[in-house]
Amino acid sequence: MRIVLSIATDALAYGMVLFIISIGLSIMMGLMRVVNLAHGAFAMIGGYLASYAIRDLNAPYGLAILIAVIGAIVVSIPFEALLYRRIYRKSDPLIQVLMTIGITFVIIGVVNYIFGPSLKSIPLPNALSGPLDIGFRMVPTHRVFVIACGLITALLLWLLIEKTEFGIKLRASVDHSDMADALGIRTEIIYAVTFALAIGLGAFGGVVGAEILPIEPFYALRYMVTFLVVVSVGGAGSITGALSASLLLGLADTTGKYLAPEFGEFFFYLTVIIIVFLFPRGLFGRSHA
Amino acid sequence: MTRRATTVSALAILCLASGVAAADTIKVGVIGTMSGPYALFGKNFKMGIDAWVAENGTKVGGHDVEFIYRDEESPNPAKSKAIAQELIVKDKVQYLAGAYFTPNAMAIAPLLEESKTPLVVMNAATSSIVEKSPYIVRTSFTMWQNTVPAAKTATKNGAKKVAIAVSDYGPGIDAEAAFKKTFEADGGAVVEAIRIPLATTDFSPIMQRIKNSGADTIFTFLPSGPPTLGFVKAYLDNGLKVAGVKLMSTGDVVTEPDLPNIGDPGIGILSTYHYSVSHASPENASFLAQIKKGGGNVDEVTMTSVAAYDGARLIYKMIEATAGQRDPVKAIAAVKDMTWVSPRGPVSIDPATRHIRQNVYLREVAKVDGKLINREIQTFDAQPDWALSKE
Amino acid sequence: MSDSATPAPPRGLPMIPEASGALAIIGLGAIGYFLFPDDLAFLTRLIGITLLVLSLDLVTGYCGVATLGHAAQFGVAAYAAGIACVRGVTDPIALLGVGLVAGTMMGLISGALITRFRGLPQLVLSIAVGQLVAALANKLSWLTGGSDGLSGITPGKVFGLYGFDMYSRTAFLFSLGVLLIVFVVLSRFVRSPFGLMCRGIKDDDLRARMIGVSIYPRLVVMYGVSGAVAGLGGALTAISTGVVGLDSVSFERSAEVLVMLVLGGAGHLWGALAGALIFQIFEHIVAAANPFHWMMLVGLLLIGIVVFAPRGLIAPVMALATRLARKGDA
Repeated sequence: MRIVLSIATDALAYGMVLFIISIGLSIMMGLMRVVNLAHGAFAMIGGYLASYAIRDLNAPYGLAILIAVIGAIVVSIPFEALLYRRIYRKSDPLIQVLMTIGITFVIIGVVNYIFGPSLKSIPLPNALSGPLDIGFRMVPTHRVFVIACGLITALLLWLLIEKTEFGIKLRASVDHSDMADALGIRTEIIYAVTFALAIGLGAFGGVVGAEILPIEPFYALRYMVTFLVVVSVGGAGSITGALSASLLLGLADTTGKYLAPEFGEFFFYLTVIIIVFLFPRGLFGRSHA
Repeated sequence: MTRRATTVSALAILCLASGVAAADTIKVGVIGTMSGPYALFGKNFKMGIDAWVAENGTKVGGHDVEFIYRDEESPNPAKSKAIAQELIVKDKVQYLAGAYFTPNAMAIAPLLEESKTPLVVMNAATSSIVEKSPYIVRTSFTMWQNTVPAAKTATKNGAKKVAIAVSDYGPGIDAEAAFKKTFEADGGAVVEAIRIPLATTDFSPIMQRIKNSGADTIFTFLPSGPPTLGFVKAYLDNGLKVAGVKLMSTGDVVTEPDLPNIGDPGIGILSTYHYSVSHASPENASFLAQIKKGGGNVDEVTMTSVAAYDGARLIYKMIEATAGQRDPVKAIAAVKDMTWVSPRGPVSIDPATRHIRQNVYLREVAKVDGKLINREIQTFDAQPDWALSKE
Repeated sequence: MSDSATPAPPRGLPMIPEASGALAIIGLGAIGYFLFPDDLAFLTRLIGITLLVLSLDLVTGYCGVATLGHAAQFGVAAYAAGIACVRGVTDPIALLGVGLVAGTMMGLISGALITRFRGLPQLVLSIAVGQLVAALANKLSWLTGGSDGLSGITPGKVFGLYGFDMYSRTAFLFSLGVLLIVFVVLSRFVRSPFGLMCRGIKDDDLRARMIGVSIYPRLVVMYGVSGAVAGLGGALTAISTGVVGLDSVSFERSAEVLVMLVLGGAGHLWGALAGALIFQIFEHIVAAANPFHWMMLVGLLLIGIVVFAPRGLIAPVMALATRLARKGDA
């Protein structure tokens, strides 16, 4: 039983990191139908900015997160305006895959040029580092923080999408974009705001998840498919879907690592294949008829 | 090989030799991790070689020596072999050097005899590499060399049940075997042996498994780079240190550039290794001064720069002994019983194995003048490679 | 990319595409052999990857399957040939056969899994299958060498006469011969009724269904053929480099060949050939200097292609060729 609880705790923490980073991508793919393989690249930019803010500017952790989120959004604006707008909702996946792989490569090149090729740590404040006793085991305090971040993110997003006017417009645009347009909802503004939200969430996840997915130039490439896989397993555009997919895949990966670490990501991808076969539109995907 | 092919390659080698003689620049191809997550170690190759060249000049007996650097990037044997082949065929190098990863060194080995090119391995640490070709010398270390003292120390410190966690590739498997054999021979028990894929970054589940195994000590080896930091952090943050589980490792896991990232909680971690940047000797002091003078950052120095520095020493010696000619037998003969004092301490090349024999130090992470270092607390004199050596 | 179907080649001399392909490959091969004798090892590897790009073209260019896992076919065949060689089958032709069979099998398996769906699920399945193969290659280290790579592959002489040496002359000519045969056969194959049917499926699968074509089995068969070609590429690479590493099944390999294909122009064998050549030669020159600059350059190039020339570099050339041919007819 202790082993089960133990695995569950690690799986929860890993799943939450996947969730925070992937939920932005999920919203983007649900609304704009963009297979954005560069999402991890923006998460990485967030990580680099936070690392820089803490280590070179001596910023406190909270401020560093803020800098990372805002910084990543600022960096992403020209990409949105010049490139992503061309591929919203229309192109076939191949075109989107290629353009976003291209964007990823460019970001990797630039980041390496500016920050160098080595691993960048994001030092944690004392309150978040070290172990914490949660009864049946010790966990890194940071993991508890990550889990809390994940839950709060999910809750706030749910409130945003279900309870605000922006949310109503957003849902309208997702389900019936032409109709929304006809009713006077400025879809391009909704798109731009959603894009910024998605990137911000990615950057936030990149920073708080850096203990589990460490920040280095190949981050964008290494986890490129992980985030995409989470979203498509969950069903693009669904918070519940992304959350359950993150937790499920987090569990598959962690259990695999615990029981048979030498198999690497085998169980992760096996789970993916099974789920895609059973639910081609994802666990909570809507039909885009 | 058919007779025709033999003639062709003989002719080609003749051409190579005459080309070299005419230009009188002897080229040395260095294959290292110049980019990617392990770039720090490629940089160390260059720092070490540059330091040697700065001290000893660019000429050996009237021959210019030129080092050409190529990027192996990651454990990618096919790529490394292609690079080596290109260095030999196209750049016409007379010596090869470097090799951070074992698989890459293994892939290069079959080319050496046909092309008559000696290879000085400056990192890759699986014992059997030197057996793959008579033209290989190694100035770094092997897993057996550094692990046997670790196992002895564990026994001495009262460890009874050990969990071994290593990277799932050649050197990791060597380390596991070396520790298991030595530790069990001394009466200890290995309760868990985990092999972790090289790309792993999240070690929390592995720490749980170790904890549940009831081990009192962990022995680990991972190639220094991104995974090592994650491993040590997972050890600290999952409460294993607080619970009294000790961590023993080879020095790869606590290289000096990583220590600031590990931070104060790392104080007291034990490791056995052949070089500490803080090693107190005049040779080391002047080596570090030389690196500083060359524009290098002393905080980035690792064991690979010392292996490269000593490797360059061997290459210079080989060039001198062969008077700039391509004669691998003579070149290897000239260095295979060399003895000198390296920045790491007194060393020699073991004539039987062509591997370096050196002191291995037991060190603990300590804070001296506000800086984390690996403080040497015990010396294991003149260790051979325990897997190759018949001692 | 969905509208890139070429018009059927002009009737008349039916063997023209095959002959021109053969001539072009012989010509390029001669240039490589005589002008760059020091680069034959690189050119040999280039041919191996080129076969993989051709193979990818069959499923992506001709059938519209978006895949980021095509290295699976290549890698499985490379490992199969490598393992066979280590275990005593050293005849290069036999090893090619092993690679061909292994690649075909893997292609059929991948095809059966991947082509059941379209769009995003298809893409994700292709990634998952590729990654699963990569994880297995790592896990089965007693068979594949895992991260250490499979080494000790020393193939015998071609036809019992020509041995493989460090200068890669034999390897290069051997690979060139395989590429020549594959290209000619594929030129014929893509214009066969089966090939044209696949193109029809890609352009409008609804219409294909309406006229009574069952799509799924055809796509799986095409995947098998594609796997065979990739398998030849994998086996050639194993034979000529003597090492098989995890890179041969990696996601990066899959992504890279997709980039090459789209650069040249998917849906044309010529496009695949051109893309593979241009990309690898540039990579060889630029990446040696600085791999990160190379990544940035490839990134910009990709964005440029998507924005300005979504049908690849070969499209304008093909248009010109068609126009000239029409003029000739008239």
